[in-house]
Amino acid sequence: MTLPATADVVVIGGGIAGLAAARELAARGVGRVAVVERDYPGAGATGRNVARIRRMQLTEELSRVAMACQDKYERMGGDLGSNILFYRLGYAWILYDADEVERMRDIVAMHARLGIRSALLSPDETLHHLPVFTGGDPVAGCVLSDDAIVHHDAVVWAHLDHLERVAPGRVAVHPHTSVTSVDVDGGRVRAVVTDRGRIETPLVLNATDGWSTEVNAMVGVRMPNRPRRREVLVTAPLRRTIEAAVTFYRPSEGWFNQTLRGEVVMGAVDTDEPIGIDQRSSWAFLRRTAELMTRKAPALRDVTVIRQWGGMYDITPDHVPIVGPTAQLDGWWQAVGWSGRGMLLAPYLTELLAEHIVTGSPPEMLRPFLPDRFPPTAELEGAEADYYARYGSSGGPGSGSTSSAAGVGSSSGNTTSRPSS
Amino acid sequence: MTSRRIPPHADPASAPPRRRVRVSFDGRTTEGYEGEPLAVTLLAADRPVLSRSFRFHRPRGLMCDTGQCGWCECEVDGRPSVRSCQVPVRDGLVARSEHAWPTADRDLFGLLDVASRLVPPTFYHHRFLRPRRLRKRYLDVIRRFGGRGRLPIDQPSDARSRTARALDVDVLVVGGGNAGVAAAEDAAASGSSVVLVEAVPGRARPRHPAIRFLDGATAVGWYEGVVTAIDDSSLWSIRADRVVAATGTYEHLPSVRGIDRPGVMGARRVVDLIRRHRVSPGQRALLVGQAEDLEAADSALRDAGAAVVVHVATGELRAVLGRRRVEGAVVVRADGTRRVAVDLVVVGDRTPNLDLVLGAGARVESRDGVLVPLLDRDGRTTVPSLTVVGSSTGTASRVPPLAVHPRALVCFCEDVHVDEIRAQVGAGYGDPELVKRRTGALTGPCQGKYCLQAFTAVLGATAGRDVATDGLPTARPPLRPIRLGDLVAVDDPADA
Repeated sequence: MTLPATADVVVIGGGIAGLAAARELAARGVGRVAVVERDYPGAGATGRNVARIRRMQLTEELSRVAMACQDKYERMGGDLGSNILFYRLGYAWILYDADEVERMRDIVAMHARLGIRSALLSPDETLHHLPVFTGGDPVAGCVLSDDAIVHHDAVVWAHLDHLERVAPGRVAVHPHTSVTSVDVDGGRVRAVVTDRGRIETPLVLNATDGWSTEVNAMVGVRMPNRPRRREVLVTAPLRRTIEAAVTFYRPSEGWFNQTLRGEVVMGAVDTDEPIGIDQRSSWAFLRRTAELMTRKAPALRDVTVIRQWGGMYDITPDHVPIVGPTAQLDGWWQAVGWSGRGMLLAPYLTELLAEHIVTGSPPEMLRPFLPDRFPPTAELEGAEADYYARYGSSGGPGSGSTSSAAGVGSSSGNTTSRPSS
Repeated sequence: MTSRRIPPHADPASAPPRRRVRVSFDGRTTEGYEGEPLAVTLLAADRPVLSRSFRFHRPRGLMCDTGQCGWCECEVDGRPSVRSCQVPVRDGLVARSEHAWPTADRDLFGLLDVASRLVPPTFYHHRFLRPRRLRKRYLDVIRRFGGRGRLPIDQPSDARSRTARALDVDVLVVGGGNAGVAAAEDAAASGSSVVLVEAVPGRARPRHPAIRFLDGATAVGWYEGVVTAIDDSSLWSIRADRVVAATGTYEHLPSVRGIDRPGVMGARRVVDLIRRHRVSPGQRALLVGQAEDLEAADSALRDAGAAVVVHVATGELRAVLGRRRVEGAVVVRADGTRRVAVDLVVVGDRTPNLDLVLGAGARVESRDGVLVPLLDRDGRTTVPSLTVVGSSTGTASRVPPLAVHPRALVCFCEDVHVDEIRAQVGAGYGDPELVKRRTGALTGPCQGKYCLQAFTAVLGATAGRDVATDGLPTARPPLRPIRLGDLVAVDDPADA
C-alpha cells in the first residue's frame, strides 16, 4: 500500500501498542492514521512474549488497570470479530520463603478488595494443584488466581483484520517501512520521513518499546526507559498437565506454562542482563533455564526443547509503562516502556491514550502513566535483583507505584530481599 | 504375525548370535534382538505405524536415517516423545504411542484426516466465539486433544550429570563424513588445532593425531560464532576461528499426497535396514528420484529377495496410496497414468542440511529448485568464519519441477498442506514470517528440516518472488531437539 502524504496521526511501531492505539483512534473517528512498522506487524516483543494476561499484580495501581485490560481481552473476540484464544488457564506465584508468604497475605487481601479472585494456598494444596513441582525445592505455598492467556499472534491479526474492515485506507498499517528521521520545526512535530516516503503529521505516537530510546533520540526527547533482553524456550507439545501459568522469584525469577497446544514455554531471568538492543538467543539461557527448572520441577527434565528466541523488555525506573504526551516536544506522544507488560496492558492504556488525544486532557486512570512523571534528567538505575523490591509496598490504598526500597510500607516490615537458603 | 526378518548370512561369522528380548508396544509384546533400535524391532514384526501426526493423526513410521524426522516418536519407559529409531531395545522395555487411541496402528482419531479441509490452520480465527459462555469449553476441548507425550511426575531420575567444557581452537569441523574428515585432516596437516565432532559414534575414523575427535558429539547450536555440542558426558562450547560445516544432506520428500505414509523411506534407511539389521522394509518397491543412493538400495532390496517394481523420476510420482501404510502409488509416464501395487517407496533425492548455515545467519540461495548455501569461491558463506564442504554445499542436489498437488503436505510436523500456504498469500499474509506463524509450518519438532525446501518453493511460486533471497523466517536454536535435563551441567573446574 502506498504511504499517504499526510496523516492526522502517525504511529511508529506495529506491535500491540501501535495497533491497539490505531484501533482506538479509528473508533474515535480520528481521520487518517498511518501505522509504520519496520518489519512485519508484531515482529518485536509482541510476537515474542507468551501473552499472560493477569490481573493479579503486586500493586493496587497496576492491578486496577490490569483488571480493566483483562476485561477488554475477554470481550476482544466479539468486539474485533476474531478469536484471540482467551483462556483462563490460571496463574500462580510459587512461593519459597516465609517472607514471601507473609507479604502475599497483604497482596491477596488487596486483590480481594478489588475483586480479583486469588487465594493463598498451603504447600500441600500447591502440590495438589500443581503436581509438576513434586520432588523439587520445597514450596512454601502459592498465590493462585483465575488469570488468562491469549494467543499473541491472534491478537495482532485480529487488530489487522479489524482495521481493514472498519477503516479501510483511512487507518492503515504499513509494514516494511523504516522511519529514517522526524521533521521538527518551531518546537512542533511536522512530519515522519521513512524509506518509503514522507508523511506530514501534527502528531506522532512512538510505540516502539525496545527501540523507543533510538526513536526518541531522533527528536531529542530524553526518557529514562531502556531495553533489556529476555529469552524464552519452547518444548515439544505435552498432554495437558500444568494447570496454571507459574512464576517464581526465589532464588531468581523464572516462569513456565503450557500453551493451549500443550507446549511448555519457559524462561529463567538473568538479572545481570546488560542494557541494550539485543534479541539474540544465548546458550547461557538454555543452561540457566535447565538448571533452574529441573531444580524446581524435576519432571521437566524429560521435556524436549525444540526452539528458543529472545526479545526485549523496555524497562522504566518504576516498572510502570510510559503513555502520553511530553512537554519536551509538542505533538510527540509515547506508548513505550512497557516493562514486560505490553500485551498485558496496552489494549486498555492505549484506549485512555486515544481519549487523551481526542479530548485534550488525560483520563484520571492515565495519570500514573504520563511520561512527564520523569524529569528529562532521570536515568534507569540497575534493576533490583529481588523482584519484590521493585514493588516495595504491600499495595494498600494509596500506596505508590514507584520503586521504593524493599520493606518500606509493608505491614510485616520484613520483606527485605535475601537469597533463599 | 508376519516377520520381516531376513534369514541370517550363511557365514555365521558375519552374523554373531544375538540375544532375543521382548518389548511391549501399545500393549502387545514383540520379540527383537538386544541392542537394535526399537523402531527396527517393531518394523521387523510388521508393526510399521509408530506414531500419529499432531493435527490430523496421520500414520507415521520409520523414515529418515538420521533421527531427525521425528516420525518414530513414542513414549519409552515413561519418557515422552522419544525417537524410537535411536533407542536400543532391552528386555522388558515398554513403549506406547502418544496422541493416538487406542493404538497408533488403529487410531480412531485418524478420521480427522478425512475432514482436514474443514480445519485449516486458521480454523479458529472466526469460530468458537458464540455462545460466549461456551468459549472456555471450546478451548478446553482443544486443550484436551492437543499435546502429545505425558509429562512424567515422580519418575525416578535417569539424568546423568554432565560437565560443561569450553574449547578454543583454530578449526572446528562439524560432521565426520568423508568431506568432514578430509577437511579436518587437511587443517591438522597444516598445523592448525582442530576439533572434529560427529554425532554417530564410531562412524568417523580421523587418523591425524593432532585432531581432537569428539566421537558421538552432536552440534546443537551456533551462538555468535561459538558452536555448542552435546555428548554423553559433556556440554561443549567450541570457539573456533574457522567452522567447517560438513553436515551432509536430508532426504527430500516430493510434495505429493501420501508421501508421509509408513513405508516411504529414505534410500539410506533401506540399505541400513537390510544390510545392518537384516530386516526387509518391503516386498515390492518403487524407487523415486535420481540420486546414486538408489543404486545401493536397489541392490540391497534384490539381495533381500524383494522386487523392485519400478523406478521413476521425481516428477513422475503423483501420489502414494494406502490408508495406514503404503499400498501403491500413482505414476505418470509417457505411456500415461497408472497405479502400481507396491508396499515400499524408496526416496533417493536429498537436499543439503542447512541447519548450521541458517543457524549462523548465513544466506542461502535457490539453485535448480534447491535451497543451497550461498558460497564464495573458497566455500565461505556470508558469515566469514563459516565454510561449507561436501554434500551440504548442495552441488549434487537436484529437485526437478513437480506438479504440486494442493492437498500434498508441505510441513509434516504440523500437517500443513500446499493450499494452506497459498491461501495465506491470497489473504495478504504472504510475508514468510507471517505464513510461518499463521500455518505453523517450520515450527514443529523438526524445525523445518523436512519442509523448508518445499515451503520456500511453494511460497515463492505463489507469491511470484524469490523467497530465499527476500529473507526466510529466522532459524532459531537449538539445531536439534534436546531434553531439558540434558542441558544441566556443572562448569569444568579446569576452565575456571
